[in-house]
Amino acid sequence: MRLTQHSGVLNNGEVDEMSEYAIEVNNIYVTFNTYSGKVHAVRGISFKVRQGETLAIVGESGSGKSVTAKTIMGILSKNANIEQGSVMYQGRDLLTYSDDQMSAIRGSEIGMIFQDPMSSLNPVMKIGKQITEALRLKQKMSKTAAKDKALQLMKDVGIDQVEKRYNQYPFQFSGGMRQRIVIAVTLACNPRVLICDEPTTALDVTVQSKILELIKELQRKRNMAVIYITHDLGVVANVADTVAVLYAGRIVERGSVEDIFYNPKSPYAMALLASMPDLETDTQRELYAIPGTPPNMLFPPQGDAFASRNQFALNIDFAEQPPEFNVSKSHVVSTWLMHPDAPEVVPSDFVNRHVASQDANYSKSAHIDYQEKVLQVKSLKQYFTSGIGKNRLTVKAVDDISFDIFRGETFGLVGESGCGKTTTGRAIIRLYEPTAGTVIFNGRNLALKMKDRERREATRGIEMIFQDPITSLNPRMTVKEIIGEGLRINKLCQSEDEMMEMIYSILDVVGLTKEHATRYPHEFSGGQRQRIGVARALVTNPELIIADEPVSALDVSVQAQVLNLMNSIKKKLGLTILFIAHDLSVVKYFSDRIGVMYYGKLVEVAEAEELYRNPLHPYTISLLSAIPHPNPKYEKTRKLIKYDPKMHDYGDKNVSFTEIKPGHFIRCSNEELHQYLAKIK
Amino acid sequence: MSIKTSSPPKIRKPFEFAHDRSQQLKDDKFETEPIGFFEDAMLRFVKNKASIVAFWLIAFIVLMSFIGPYMNEYGYKDQNVTINYMPSRVPGLERLGILDGSKVRRVRYSSIAEKYQESLIEIVREYEISGVRMADIRFNDYIYRGIADKYYFFGTDALGRDLWTRLWRGVRISLLIALIAMSVNIFIGVVYGAICGYYGGTVDIVMQRFIEILGGVPTIVVMILFILYYGSGILPIALALCLKGWIGMSRMIRAQFYKYKRMEYVLASRTLGAKDLTLIFRHILPNAIGVLITMAALAIPRAIFQESFLAYLGLGIQAPEPSIGILLAEGQKVLIDHPHLTLFPAILISTLMISFNLLGNGLRDAFDPTLRGIE
Repeated sequence: MRLTQHSGVLNNGEVDEMSEYAIEVNNIYVTFNTYSGKVHAVRGISFKVRQGETLAIVGESGSGKSVTAKTIMGILSKNANIEQGSVMYQGRDLLTYSDDQMSAIRGSEIGMIFQDPMSSLNPVMKIGKQITEALRLKQKMSKTAAKDKALQLMKDVGIDQVEKRYNQYPFQFSGGMRQRIVIAVTLACNPRVLICDEPTTALDVTVQSKILELIKELQRKRNMAVIYITHDLGVVANVADTVAVLYAGRIVERGSVEDIFYNPKSPYAMALLASMPDLETDTQRELYAIPGTPPNMLFPPQGDAFASRNQFALNIDFAEQPPEFNVSKSHVVSTWLMHPDAPEVVPSDFVNRHVASQDANYSKSAHIDYQEKVLQVKSLKQYFTSGIGKNRLTVKAVDDISFDIFRGETFGLVGESGCGKTTTGRAIIRLYEPTAGTVIFNGRNLALKMKDRERREATRGIEMIFQDPITSLNPRMTVKEIIGEGLRINKLCQSEDEMMEMIYSILDVVGLTKEHATRYPHEFSGGQRQRIGVARALVTNPELIIADEPVSALDVSVQAQVLNLMNSIKKKLGLTILFIAHDLSVVKYFSDRIGVMYYGKLVEVAEAEELYRNPLHPYTISLLSAIPHPNPKYEKTRKLIKYDPKMHDYGDKNVSFTEIKPGHFIRCSNEELHQYLAKIK
Repeated sequence: MSIKTSSPPKIRKPFEFAHDRSQQLKDDKFETEPIGFFEDAMLRFVKNKASIVAFWLIAFIVLMSFIGPYMNEYGYKDQNVTINYMPSRVPGLERLGILDGSKVRRVRYSSIAEKYQESLIEIVREYEISGVRMADIRFNDYIYRGIADKYYFFGTDALGRDLWTRLWRGVRISLLIALIAMSVNIFIGVVYGAICGYYGGTVDIVMQRFIEILGGVPTIVVMILFILYYGSGILPIALALCLKGWIGMSRMIRAQFYKYKRMEYVLASRTLGAKDLTLIFRHILPNAIGVLITMAALAIPRAIFQESFLAYLGLGIQAPEPSIGILLAEGQKVLIDHPHLTLFPAILISTLMISFNLLGNGLRDAFDPTLRGIE
């Protein structure tokens, strides 16, 4: 602290009208040399951040947001070239600094927090040492002074029992705790500028909320300038003062958080906001999906990069880069729509068009047949054991859960990572052998011990859609082979021609064309790949689809494409879906009923709307309160309700999964049941 | 509102919507041709200049190993002790003063006139030892021995056999041994590694312990015993190289299986009802093919090297059959006096080793999945 103040005074004394900005980025242009040519990752980005201000840079993957951060930090990879521009920090251009000079700046003046807390800490070094290392090296602090400072920092970032924690190793910390430690390490040298590169993307929502609060609090205390990089508009609404929206290496819109969220002017920002489901999104409505995929930055488009995906693109958009127009003093937007001659397009254009184009009598639950249960899961248990004898360890991944899914219904399963939701899905389709319980599908119990052939027969009719569009398709097989595999294995077609026929028709269903059939997966974008995954699951005409986080690895703009596709297919084919995800807003948008899982147990099941309006279980309430909404006004007032798992340490008490009102189940003890009942009355 | 462009560009109706608004936008059409895995790897491979050079060098050496022995009239076992240790002589090059069949020898000064009248090229040095006048002279050995019309490109060995013929034949045999050894190694390694990696658990533990025990046995000892027992033919030597050679390969394949069997596409295929064999041969192994090819390319020079090593120990292939190792072993005995016998095999084996290593590296980069799709 002392040091910062000191240098601040020095600066004020030296240069009177030292810029009021903590950091200024002027027109930087960064390219990467690759095998195939020059990738234009950042194409002229400028922004300024004041001391004590948070700038959020938001954009899809590949839009150049991380590259911008790395340029500021001077940690670009070797094949990067900074073609032009400057990064002004305290009156000097950081881009002209040598490596040695930069490493003096890095950490002590400008700190950076990375996405993955698992890999940003050295696993074989004690936590305390990692925090004090920078202090000892850069500030030449004595050992005891450094330790005192480290303990204080650990307290600041909200870690208790600091003395004991000081001597522990990273593996003894949870993900959220590690990110706190990373923050402590970064803050050790009192940086004046903090760059956060997706610091909460790898964390669960409840943890994310806490980390966001922590960063905000620390910023207030220390008056740092924060550059926050994220793709999550909800997080932006929560943390940002100003926002820069990036697309294809350029800032398309820049302004205060209110400007961007309530008065977006660029078609990209409008489309992005329209395509995100949140808890308030009308589930009857199809999401706005931005068509196409981001441009290939090897050959940046001549005009507006977004033009080819923009339904309201003007002719000029294809020919010429739009200049910057000032909407207000703080609000700058780069689109031809602001030109006086241009027609007017307002945000609601992006939403309305799609409600109008919809089937009028479409209703979410119209297809559900509540008489017929497609899947019945009863006290399903999935334990994993390792070691033998005394060292035997049992992990209760899924611990006694029960639910039914009706025909035509979409059942959402939400929970944080490690709560067993994926395991549940895999146990049902028999990728694992369940430890106990029954899973009735088509009148057969899938949880029994079965021979391979029997198992294949029994699980036919259940298909799965996987999370990762990269690893879920075999890179060695063409799309045709990938989709055709299920047909071939299950002998669902008589001839090659018939198979091709079926493949083409399913490709058409998921919005791909015949010519895509002979392609290899790596030629497709994330959204397209996920659609291929959907096609693979659909081609065998299953009754039940288990969708395991089908959209969580996709960019917001692409997520809507896939969700809409699944929604329309669901309607068309009357599919029953078990939808597993950690993102409650997506689940709520997509599902009819939702089950909330916590540590292997199902704690609450209810209709989507009911669960959202009247959550009863404290964990559900906490989960709901943790979700950031893309709405700055709401975000400013949102309070995270913490859930203390200790309150549900039932011991010997009799706990049951009880129907508290029609269709609303909750896991509770007898006493709690009375409390809940009193609450709903 | 400020407008920076003063004159709008000349585009027809610049400010009208470009798309028909009622029509949905479709996915972009692919502009490129569909490209398979090997074509893709090929594209990347040809960009690596060193590997391309290495590839052509190997191709040249392999070609020469077939046609080389027949390029002159000498057979690989035609002995003629009167013309032993002939230095190398190449037509054309001899005019430049290199490889001209000349030798330096210390002789009595008086004998120059008697014996070396015709073949003398130059007197390098004159001196006296114990009162006798001596001289180091450079002379043409071919003229000296009366075979001025003959050309032994790489010279001859102790028994007067042509080194050129023997060397290319030796390369052929060494490559053959290496090829057999590599194929057997890959076969055993893939099968063993695949079983370990795919089934994992107890099977893996037991099989890995076996590998560790085998790995603990000294390589040289088992190889020597094996060759002593089965004799020193091409096959026994090749198989001796396989006794432990497959271990590294199997570990590599096991690691690949561990990596790929957790991939979601393998799970996906399993949920579709695929059998183990389908998973192994259709989904996992093809993805490990890049590693496999690279390992194979790197296994060949290792086998050649080991074969030479065995030959050096006297466990080489049966005489008069040559191999690179045998030629080296013979050559090093007379290294000072007749360096050509070591030089040519050494250059060749070095070229082969470097080329195979460069080729292997190029292949590894070409098959590297992290570079895939950038094109």
